[in-house]
Amino acid sequence: MGQVNMEQLLNCAYCPNMCRNECPVVQALGREAVAPSGKARTAALIGQGYLEWSEEMLEAVANCLACRGCTIHCPFDELNLCDELLFSRIPARNKGVSLPGIEPYLNNLRKYSSPYGQKTGSVIKRHQDPEVLVFNGCTSLANNPASIEAAASLLEKAGVSFCMIEEDCCGYPAEAWGDLELACQLACENKRKFTETGASILVTNCPECWSVFNNRYPGWEQTLPLQIMDGPSYFLQLIREGRLKPDLEDPGAGNEFKVSYHDPCIWARTAEKIDEPREILRSIPGLLLKEPAAFGTGTRCCGGGSMFQLSFPGTASAIARRRLDEFPGNTSIVTACPFCREGLLQNGYPVKELVELLDQYCK
Amino acid sequence: MDDLMQTVLQESRVEQSRLERYTREAALIVGEENLSDSKADLLATCRDYWPVTTVWMGEGKIPALPQLVVWPHKTEEVAGLLALAEKENIPVTPYGEGSGALGGVIPLKGGITIDLKKMNRVRWLDEKNLLVNVESGLNGALYEEQLNRAGYTGGHFPQSLRCSTVGGWLSCRAAGQFSTRYGKIEDMAVALEAVLPDGTIFEGKGVPRTATGPRVDHLMLGSEGTLGIITAATLRIWPLPEKRHLVTYTFDKLEDGLEAIRLFMRAGTRPAVVRLYDPQETGNHFPELGDQVCALVLLVEGAQKIVEAEASVIEDCTRSLGAKNAGPEHVEHWLEKRFNISVASMLFQKGAVLDTIEVTTNWHNAHSTYRAMQEALIGVESTMLASGHYSHVYPEGAALYMTTVGFPGEDKVSYYKKIWQAAMDACLAQGAAISHHHGVGLHRGNWMAEEHGAGFFVLQKIKSALDPNRVMNPGKLGLGEVQKWAR
Repeated sequence: MGQVNMEQLLNCAYCPNMCRNECPVVQALGREAVAPSGKARTAALIGQGYLEWSEEMLEAVANCLACRGCTIHCPFDELNLCDELLFSRIPARNKGVSLPGIEPYLNNLRKYSSPYGQKTGSVIKRHQDPEVLVFNGCTSLANNPASIEAAASLLEKAGVSFCMIEEDCCGYPAEAWGDLELACQLACENKRKFTETGASILVTNCPECWSVFNNRYPGWEQTLPLQIMDGPSYFLQLIREGRLKPDLEDPGAGNEFKVSYHDPCIWARTAEKIDEPREILRSIPGLLLKEPAAFGTGTRCCGGGSMFQLSFPGTASAIARRRLDEFPGNTSIVTACPFCREGLLQNGYPVKELVELLDQYCK
Repeated sequence: MDDLMQTVLQESRVEQSRLERYTREAALIVGEENLSDSKADLLATCRDYWPVTTVWMGEGKIPALPQLVVWPHKTEEVAGLLALAEKENIPVTPYGEGSGALGGVIPLKGGITIDLKKMNRVRWLDEKNLLVNVESGLNGALYEEQLNRAGYTGGHFPQSLRCSTVGGWLSCRAAGQFSTRYGKIEDMAVALEAVLPDGTIFEGKGVPRTATGPRVDHLMLGSEGTLGIITAATLRIWPLPEKRHLVTYTFDKLEDGLEAIRLFMRAGTRPAVVRLYDPQETGNHFPELGDQVCALVLLVEGAQKIVEAEASVIEDCTRSLGAKNAGPEHVEHWLEKRFNISVASMLFQKGAVLDTIEVTTNWHNAHSTYRAMQEALIGVESTMLASGHYSHVYPEGAALYMTTVGFPGEDKVSYYKKIWQAAMDACLAQGAAISHHHGVGLHRGNWMAEEHGAGFFVLQKIKSALDPNRVMNPGKLGLGEVQKWAR
């Protein structure tokens, strides 16, 4: 279980916020209370018993996208402030203090194993003796079934033996909202279902799910008996093996078209998958890659990290708009995260997922 | 605030009925969504990076709390808020990003804190005249990033670059690490837009120089929110440099390093970065050079031919003082680590009191001021370290930056006061000026009268004329209203 490391939290609390220029929340809101050190100070003072949890305090401490933008310039190698803030606020729930707006989603999670309610978009596909289990994640299932169809289509084209199952939430939202017991239950159920498939590789296009499988499940004593792969790496592997050939001309476009890739925070900063999605994009004929002002490990969040948009929709939108301003004009935006697609899309910009674009160009 | 936390410096607070009246009217100016009396917001704006507040935080203490935080979006809103505050006699504390090192944003008398971070636009960039107009709440790193995208630099890189605002720089007369070439912020500030306590908005012309009496907009430089609020500035910019030359020289003696700098400044060179470390800091920052020599770190940048010529003159001057060329790698290391101040957080947790004290001297007393301040700091019981470097140089002298660490046990605040008293006494006895770029805030106000002599009376008269109700940032710049914090 994640425990607050008070020494690390105080390192941040005693620092003058040398990272704040990379915190999308404080840059969007201008509130000192939501600057990285501001949140760390509040969390530390509560942890030390000088302050008590209240809705106001929780609202400030939870104003974090878990994007790890604050780590870009952080001088403390072992500090992951996003995790420290998350761990620090888990006890708030026991004090009867909860985040704004999340109770209906938490109830959905308890009842339907998805924060979005009854699952309507489940796509169950099964080859015999599948090698690969594809985990789509609640957000793709609820909001973008086209990306699931695209992933399945690519796997069919590549001749991969795979399965997609009736999914339960990975558990991350439950942890983020302070219900660790529920998070562990979901993890336990997932482990059982994953094991039953007999697949040896789990591929997910959702960075949040990938992160929780890798970084939380072992601590919840639910280490998965499968190799966990991120979508960009897996699909690139299929291209490199010659099983996918992105050589179709887009019938609706000219010979050359410009695309900007929005690096999802987790893929870029936690998984360090910077080159993989770009190599996929460059393999598409006629595609010209144009980088936004901030990219790679220096990427900036779309506002959709850590279920943030469910509690703070206005701030999430403001962050998405700031991010959109960083893209060059006359380009299509592609990303590899259902939350990023959703966050940027809701602010009026057409955004595709990487698998959707790749499928469009593969035989 | 929870009873669990105790305020230490709160001089007074505004009574509730007056505050409520102010809040109602302020909401009409900025909108209710831009006001907050949430505990989290009050707590977050009650302090800056003054080490004393960090000590207090570890003890669960608060310096003083505002009663309301307000976020204006434009100059006219600031004007409305200030005029209203003057009418209701409500204390006002301007707030940027809280990186100040001397308690300049502590709301000693409660009232309202005006957080300027929502005024963060680059209004225009003029490539022909090499000027930019920027609002005061913009974060320093984001300001530089926007300029870089357009092919320019602001030339201002304080160690707080990522955690300070343009307005904070102007209010405290800040200096960046590249100041020898680009100047301090007051050299870059061609014109300011500001609001006086009565709500008057005024703006200087963005022309090179004037001879029309004193530049009244420049009066706001270094005023630390005591005379009004700087809302925007027209600043100089430069094309991104074509060439960079990095080199480190080592000297056997600090005096030789100082003399070499004096010579190449006299010869007319203007390297962007000039940093001369004493042996102790050389050993700390560049262990491979050892702790028996003094490292001079230099970065020259600009047009290639000029850089080559400057590098050649500098080489001659340093060689004439027996310096050894230690190559570019130490400058590269410094560039990589120059914003890392992690050691401060770790030392605070181990019970240390750590502070930096920057002063400014002429060449004739540059070395003796270092010696005197070092001896004074070491002379205070519990001091473990007192080291120094020179980091901003001019034809007429240099800024001296002392770092001190002590482990005083329980009474950290008394120890803090003692080291400052010792350092300021030594500095003033040498005839040096007590601050180069950190400003005054609350704590350095204790020495403002000695620093300025009769000139301090002029400053007091200006304060009384512009802020007769004394609502603007009470207790700062040594301008009175302080009972609970003295030497």
